[in-house]
Amino acid sequence: MLRKLKFAILLAAILALSQFRQPIHAQSQATAPQELEQSDNEKPVPIFTGAAGFLTTFDGGDPHLGPIFTGVILIPLGDRWLIESRGTFESDMVQLPGRSGFHGEVEKELEYAQVDFIANPYLTITAGRFLTPIGIYNERLYPVWIRDLPSDPLILPIGVGPSNASTGAMLRGGFNVTPDVSINYTAYFSEFSNFEPLTSERTAGVRAGLFFPKARLEIGGSFQHLLQDERSNLFGTHAIWQPPSLPLDIRAEVVHSRRGSGYWIEPAYRLSQLPFLRDEMRRTQLVARLQQFFTGDLPGSDDLPPVNTQQFEFGVNYYFTDGLRATSSYGRQFSSEGNKNVWTFGVTYRFLVPLGPSGNQ
Amino acid sequence: MNSRLILATLCALCFGSCFFAAAQERKQEPKVVASSPNQETAAEAADSDGSAPAAANAKPTPRSIEAAERVEGEKRFRANCSRCHQSPHKYPPRVMATAIRHMRVRAMITDEDMRLILRYMSQ
Repeated sequence: MLRKLKFAILLAAILALSQFRQPIHAQSQATAPQELEQSDNEKPVPIFTGAAGFLTTFDGGDPHLGPIFTGVILIPLGDRWLIESRGTFESDMVQLPGRSGFHGEVEKELEYAQVDFIANPYLTITAGRFLTPIGIYNERLYPVWIRDLPSDPLILPIGVGPSNASTGAMLRGGFNVTPDVSINYTAYFSEFSNFEPLTSERTAGVRAGLFFPKARLEIGGSFQHLLQDERSNLFGTHAIWQPPSLPLDIRAEVVHSRRGSGYWIEPAYRLSQLPFLRDEMRRTQLVARLQQFFTGDLPGSDDLPPVNTQQFEFGVNYYFTDGLRATSSYGRQFSSEGNKNVWTFGVTYRFLVPLGPSGNQ
Repeated sequence: MNSRLILATLCALCFGSCFFAAAQERKQEPKVVASSPNQETAAEAADSDGSAPAAANAKPTPRSIEAAERVEGEKRFRANCSRCHQSPHKYPPRVMATAIRHMRVRAMITDEDMRLILRYMSQ
């Protein structure tokens, strides 16, 4: 009965929202005639995009080969709808005793498959399987062509559920409060699912962020309540700062939960300001990440370290083009299970294919 | 109790956004033309083209508006998109329209930012 009531209220809310119709290109209400002529040329077309990569890792001296392919399909419908999905095929190939060569299984993951309805300029309603919005890494920085270091942060598995995704519904949006401050928010509910590969936990949560465009600073917080098992809470904060005068990005996340806690901070500096070898330097990026993980009073997921762990990483990326990148990193991990070095070398490539007429530039 | 709290939060967000949207719509209606380009920037851009007088009180022409929007679009692109990833190269307009819609959902960029970034990235 309560569930039916919930759905009725949500449906009423959605219907009410749809009354506040505002075209997505709201400004076109006051546009000049030539802009109206362009509108057909700006009609969105389905696209297939994604990335491919090959990473070689020496983890404590053991070599691993990691081919990865990620495909994203985006299908816009009308002015307000978007169907989007991302799937990944990857393998962790290792040398097995007594056998030659590298062997490993191909893992398939449906990371998200969601329908988005842009109800108005300040609210988007999402339903389906979506990336769990905790902090910034899982939703924004995870793809292999975006991340500055090839490895995941140690705290990434906290709260994001199996396959880093949730199954349910989500409300999200962003708006300017003043010209100097904008707010973004997400509220979601996820249902429990043990149906492979769409597994998820029963959770509800919110995330909100404040962005100051002049300072190029975003700060925000996340909260999640687990509606199963121990019914615990998770708290997190995140920040991104790009000093306007420097080609420097500083990103950080802190998460606290009963299944584990920790933080990471990651500065990345593009060498474009150096006065020599300008072309090469502007393509080169130095990255570092400092992180710590602390075990909680409850057992975490299999992807979390079993003991308190600290890790420092340093990497160099070289961008041949905007989509093709060579990446390398060195990390040192400290834990009571033993310290180890982790070296990674790889190449990532991002592609985009329009699935229809793409318009004239 | 918890689920009721969550439901109440979701509904409050829904209706809050709804009323905010209505209020913003009403507020924006009379000054759409004035708010879209930064007039000072528009005048500067037009001046650099040599196509219009540089007087600060000059009436913005479609060309100066377009130039100002491009400048503003680049600014918004650097502020919003580069928070997470490196600059992609520019794609044809219909491809960019899809990519921007995706990023509007993913990165929660505002409606105004989306429009200006789309204009900048597709021209």
